[in-house]
Amino acid sequence: MTFAVPAIHCVACVWLLEQVFRFGEGVGSSTVDFAQKRVSIRFDPRRTTLARVAGLLDSLGYAPDLRLSDLDRTSVPAVSRRLWLQLGVAGFAFGNTMLFSLPGYFGLDAFSGPAFRNLFGILSLLLSLPVVTWSAADYWRAAWVGLKHRRLSLEVPIAAGILALFGQSVVEVVTGSGEGYFDSLAGLLFFLLTGRVFQQKAFGRLTFDRDYRSFFPLSVLRLSSDPAGLEREERVGLDRLEVGNRLRIRNGELIPADARLVGGEALIDYSFVTGESEPVRRHIGELLYAGGSQTAGAIEIEITKPVSQCYLTSLWNQEAFRKDRDDTADSITNRYSVRFTWTILALAVGAVAFWGWRDPSRAIPAFVGILIVACPCALALAAPYTLGTALRVLGRRGIFLRNTQVLESLAEVDAVVFDKTGTLTTAQGGEVVFRGAPLAISEWTAIRSVVAQSSHPLSRRLAEASPVEASGTARVEGFREVLGLGVEGRVDGNRWVLGSVRWLHQNGIEDLPETGETGSVLVACNGIHRGTFVVSNSLRGEVGKLVSDLRSSHELSLLSGDNNRERWRFRTVFGDSATLAFDRTPIQKLEFIQDRQNSGRTVMMVGDGLNDSGALRQSDVGVAVVERIGAFSPASDVILEATRLPRLAEVLRFSRTTVALVRASFVISTLYNVVGLSIAASGRLSPVVCAILMPLSSVTVVAFAVGSVEWRGRRAGLGPALGKGGGHP
Amino acid sequence: MKIDTFRYDNRIVRAFSIATVIWAIVGFSAGLLAACELFWPGLNAGLQYVTFGRLRPLHTNAVIFAFVGNGMFAGIYYSLQRLCKARLFCDGVSWFHFWGWNAIIVAAAITLPLGFTTSKEYAELEWPIDIAIAVVWVAFAINVFGTIWKRREKHLYVAIWFYIATVLTVAVLHIGNSIEMPAGILKSYPVYAGVQDALVQWWYGHNAVAFFLTTPFLGLMYYFLPKAANRPVFSYRLSIIHFWSLIFIYIWAGPHHLLYTALPDWAQSLGMVFSVMLVAPSWGGMLNGLLTLRGAWDKVRQDPVLKFMVVAVTAYGMATLEGPLLSIKSVNALSHYTDWTIAHVHTGALGWNGFLIFSMLYWLFPRLWNTRLYSLKLANWHFWLGLLGIMFYAIPMYWAGVTQGLMWKEFTPDGFLRYPNFLETVLQLVPMYRLRAVGGTLYLVGSCIGAYNLYRTAKSGVFEGDTEVQAAPLSEDTHAPATGHRWLESKAGLLTVLAVIAVLIGGLVEIVPLYLIRSNVPTIASVKPYTPLEVLGRDLYIREGCVGCHSQMIRPFRSETERYGDYSKAGEFVFDHPFLWGSKRTGPDLHRVGGKYPDAWHYNHMENPSSMSPGSIMPAYPWMLTQKLDIPSLPARLRALRKVGVPYPEGYERDAALKDLKAQAAKIVANLQFNSITNVAPDTEIVGLIAYLQRLGTDIKTAPTTAAVAETSNP
Amino acid sequence: MSVILLLIPLSLVVAAGFLGAFFWAVRSGQYEDTVTPSMRLLTEEPKSSTRSLSKDEKPLR
Repeated sequence: MTFAVPAIHCVACVWLLEQVFRFGEGVGSSTVDFAQKRVSIRFDPRRTTLARVAGLLDSLGYAPDLRLSDLDRTSVPAVSRRLWLQLGVAGFAFGNTMLFSLPGYFGLDAFSGPAFRNLFGILSLLLSLPVVTWSAADYWRAAWVGLKHRRLSLEVPIAAGILALFGQSVVEVVTGSGEGYFDSLAGLLFFLLTGRVFQQKAFGRLTFDRDYRSFFPLSVLRLSSDPAGLEREERVGLDRLEVGNRLRIRNGELIPADARLVGGEALIDYSFVTGESEPVRRHIGELLYAGGSQTAGAIEIEITKPVSQCYLTSLWNQEAFRKDRDDTADSITNRYSVRFTWTILALAVGAVAFWGWRDPSRAIPAFVGILIVACPCALALAAPYTLGTALRVLGRRGIFLRNTQVLESLAEVDAVVFDKTGTLTTAQGGEVVFRGAPLAISEWTAIRSVVAQSSHPLSRRLAEASPVEASGTARVEGFREVLGLGVEGRVDGNRWVLGSVRWLHQNGIEDLPETGETGSVLVACNGIHRGTFVVSNSLRGEVGKLVSDLRSSHELSLLSGDNNRERWRFRTVFGDSATLAFDRTPIQKLEFIQDRQNSGRTVMMVGDGLNDSGALRQSDVGVAVVERIGAFSPASDVILEATRLPRLAEVLRFSRTTVALVRASFVISTLYNVVGLSIAASGRLSPVVCAILMPLSSVTVVAFAVGSVEWRGRRAGLGPALGKGGGHP
Repeated sequence: MKIDTFRYDNRIVRAFSIATVIWAIVGFSAGLLAACELFWPGLNAGLQYVTFGRLRPLHTNAVIFAFVGNGMFAGIYYSLQRLCKARLFCDGVSWFHFWGWNAIIVAAAITLPLGFTTSKEYAELEWPIDIAIAVVWVAFAINVFGTIWKRREKHLYVAIWFYIATVLTVAVLHIGNSIEMPAGILKSYPVYAGVQDALVQWWYGHNAVAFFLTTPFLGLMYYFLPKAANRPVFSYRLSIIHFWSLIFIYIWAGPHHLLYTALPDWAQSLGMVFSVMLVAPSWGGMLNGLLTLRGAWDKVRQDPVLKFMVVAVTAYGMATLEGPLLSIKSVNALSHYTDWTIAHVHTGALGWNGFLIFSMLYWLFPRLWNTRLYSLKLANWHFWLGLLGIMFYAIPMYWAGVTQGLMWKEFTPDGFLRYPNFLETVLQLVPMYRLRAVGGTLYLVGSCIGAYNLYRTAKSGVFEGDTEVQAAPLSEDTHAPATGHRWLESKAGLLTVLAVIAVLIGGLVEIVPLYLIRSNVPTIASVKPYTPLEVLGRDLYIREGCVGCHSQMIRPFRSETERYGDYSKAGEFVFDHPFLWGSKRTGPDLHRVGGKYPDAWHYNHMENPSSMSPGSIMPAYPWMLTQKLDIPSLPARLRALRKVGVPYPEGYERDAALKDLKAQAAKIVANLQFNSITNVAPDTEIVGLIAYLQRLGTDIKTAPTTAAVAETSNP
Repeated sequence: MSVILLLIPLSLVVAAGFLGAFFWAVRSGQYEDTVTPSMRLLTEEPKSSTRSLSKDEKPLR
């Protein structure tokens, strides 16, 4: 069992946690992963239990965060092992073939000539075989797929180049007419693969990886009857679930597997799966699907299909979430590569035609030379390294992008739509004041129990604000929540209703005072208004500055599900030209965005991901602002820590800069191609030229890409980088 | 879950550590003695056993195999157990390793002064000892791999990979370079000759530097530096990357030792490029080490362990930058054969290896004996004396090297050598030799202080023979990455690769040497094998270690051809088993000395060099005038040489050889008498030596010229 | 010169052996965690009476 232990912070922690075998019966060896803050502990299930081990950790001061804990011991590494091996083979071959080709470049003299040239040629050929067949495997496959679908993706010219290099080299060595281009071939693959490693690393950022998985429950409450017939709850890992198990799923929790509803009121939000934010009501006996989340009180379900972890983890980035613009054919690299490929082919054919007429002996060398040197290597590296670095620069500052596509979209954004509550304003830390006769402890307890079923920020704030004495949880029956309006539930026979005025009206409670303040939560008990909580909502710091930054270059709008009492406040911030709309439902928000898009705008929506997942998905870029990197909607493309919100303008500027840098990298790689192609077209390409040009171009492009992005990132005003996890004792 | 209780073996570490300290003193003393002999040639007090020529290999073997070797084993055995969380594989093997290795050193200390040497640098020990080295090394390998196999820590820390690289590669190198044909109980000839031998020797020599002096110490650095500083390595990922990139391309080295020699141009260039390429992975290690200490520099000021370590890592960086620099052709043209090479070697040896071992010992001793270091003050004295010693060593040697190199190359405006007299260039350097000896003294004194400090530390504590530890064993599934079919698959792949490698090695080792021997067709038709008398003379040249001061390879520079004669051609060396190109010119190159001076000149010169070259720092060899040639061993020698490809006719050694020897000896005795040197028995060693010297370089001339004129001119 | 025909393939074979070792290392998950091993190195001291020379401690002399 692998536990996530956020408290790991130093060397002593590593030592202590790897000594746990001394402290618990049945506990075996343990291995700490410091960077990921996890510890894998082996234990004998016959002599101890998961709970006891967790308790042991707790007692040592390393309480595990079960939400983040994993069941399988091997976490998926960011970069696949296969890729490392492919890279290792390419690197090995590159280094050695390079050495073997040097004698040729320095001129084997007659004294030692032919025997050695043959030896080196054959050795280079042998070394290149695993590179061509294995290290390059993914390129062959991708090119084949691309061609089958008549799509000239970047892998096509790459594959052509590899083929030309290898073919020409084999011919040269076998006929003894030259040394071949094996060093360039291995070098090409080596650099391409480093690009892919970089890509995978940039996308598979550790914290992001952990965070999105934290959205899934990895352990759930399983119900069973003990011998005495009493119902027992135990928390078990997903991998222990079986068909027929009964689970208790509470408000806000995910359904882990396809199941049938057997108890409680199911109001399932399938936005995670389908993007539909309107919750769906289900009745007892009906089927619930994995990935949906419960939005009413606790329910009981019975599993009908086994848990499929793959299914859950594949929901991110799945087809349903692909926006139309996600089509890879449209990405900047592929657009360029199509033009590039056609140009090369034209050039090659042209060269054959030209030389066929002028000097036929140069026709084939020119043709092959063009294919060889027209290395899309630098091309293939430019975008990944530039965009990948940008992603990392942003990620280090608490701004996480789903993929590089998002960066390109951000560069095109010209309209920004803001959600109000939770996005521009925050309830965190806001003062909670109760207007009305002071609440008794039992009342507080009841209120707290009811709001604890909900994950709305206001509910969380109220729960936090409850006095210490009221920390017990009473049993709540008939819990119901409508997001944006309020909650209700029964405790000890008393019916509590909390929410907005409209909510209380809907629940048949009259005689309500006019509140006039946002952040008011009216409380009614048994149909009578008991009092009002006022939660001060504050505008996040520097929002004003952000808005004024964006105002000049972007069309701004504010959409809120709240009432318009604070219109004046926001009008001051947003100015006259912005659109302010209140009392909007999630559907209306979505339609608004559609409308703006139809007018030709590229829209970025900034929300908190709770009740606007539809709008987020509809927008060209959906930005979710979160208080704590822990819960968010997968419909978003960008996840922003709340403290980073003021930097949004800089983020947009930075994306535009980055895209410009990608184009600049393309220019650089094109320059190399021009030089190389002119030499090749004249039929005079030699291995040594190739061997110099290719690594040089690749290294230059990569260095430029990474260097310029990092440099601009530092100067982009994106804020300080987050500290790395773990310090020294 | 099972919890193992086991013990780390500290006794073996103690043994190796103590041996390290003892051999340090011995090795440094031998070096100091040799250094002093260079400005005080009479220091050997007439004893043939401690002339510079015989002392130099003793010094190099003592410091490399005895000091560095024992130090390496101490460090590896200490760290390997703790990194693997397992006791050493087999105590019996450990002690066999210890006693075997040190017995080898003792054997070296006895055989080398007695003149039993192969003359190949860092491989001077004769064939029985070579076999012993191989056997003991296998024991070492068994211990290392066995401990890794038994480990309770799944991850192999980077230091372990460096140790693995050392164990495997040194084995291959040693065996490859030591393939020799015995001609007696302590005499052998390598199967390679001339250029081939040179290549193999420096393939071995340079890789020995890499895998005996560098990789294990990088491993030790990655263990002891973080431990001493109590901070993790700056970038563990970098250490992994630089290890693998180093090991993937470190296959071809050596030519940079042979630049401008009879090696083909492209091979030399290859060596140069390769050496330059190596800067990157090497510096990865250095940077990693130094950056680990960032933020802890105040600790460095106070802790001698860290002080020594910092200097060691810095010296490593300097040496690994200087090395590639020296392999650039234009630089090498100046530096080769001069003291610059010596400076380079000693920066690395005294700075990197020496100081790292001291650092390690200062860290280890208090821990092994459960006490504190006896005296911080003495440790600091050691440090500063040692550092001063390094500087007093290196700086004079740099000065000397550049000076001599430039002097050799200098021409007058008329186009003549400005310093046609080699001795002139030497005499310029003698003051530098004195300074260098001061440096060596400082270093030695520092080490003695260190030895005393460590001794008192041990005395003040209680030795912990075994350290008891508990750890959980590795679970089954962590030994194999997967179960069932996939396990077999992964193992099978590895097994196949290993099997292919084994077969390939076996095949190559068997087939190619045969091919080599048969293919040694001399490209110069006039080159003939050495006569029997010359063979004995050559073996005397080897015995006395003349190759340590005299080279036999004239480079294609005008400054050399003017001074020595026609530059050396590869084909001239086809029968040289072993090659004697040399790597240092404390005295002039001898490749074309044949026929330059009359026999009498050589006689007088060997009796007392100053008589022929006033001010010479060469020692006298009076015993060669009285000791007899080892004629009974001649048949065995000739047979052995024939077996390695020298085309002596079948049965030549029975009678004809002796007849030829006597005839040639008689001629030389006659020449000597002609010059008033009488009473020279024809079977004296000097006769053989003269025969050999007069043969050198004469093969390409139409007829050998024996100047009968009594010229006593200076060279 | 022809000994190079021996030396190069031999060296290549040795290097290939290390490539095989690289394969083993990656596949058995040696490089999944490249941070903790450097920290683990600092933790090994067993709880015996071994004491190290700490910054504050003075040596015997």
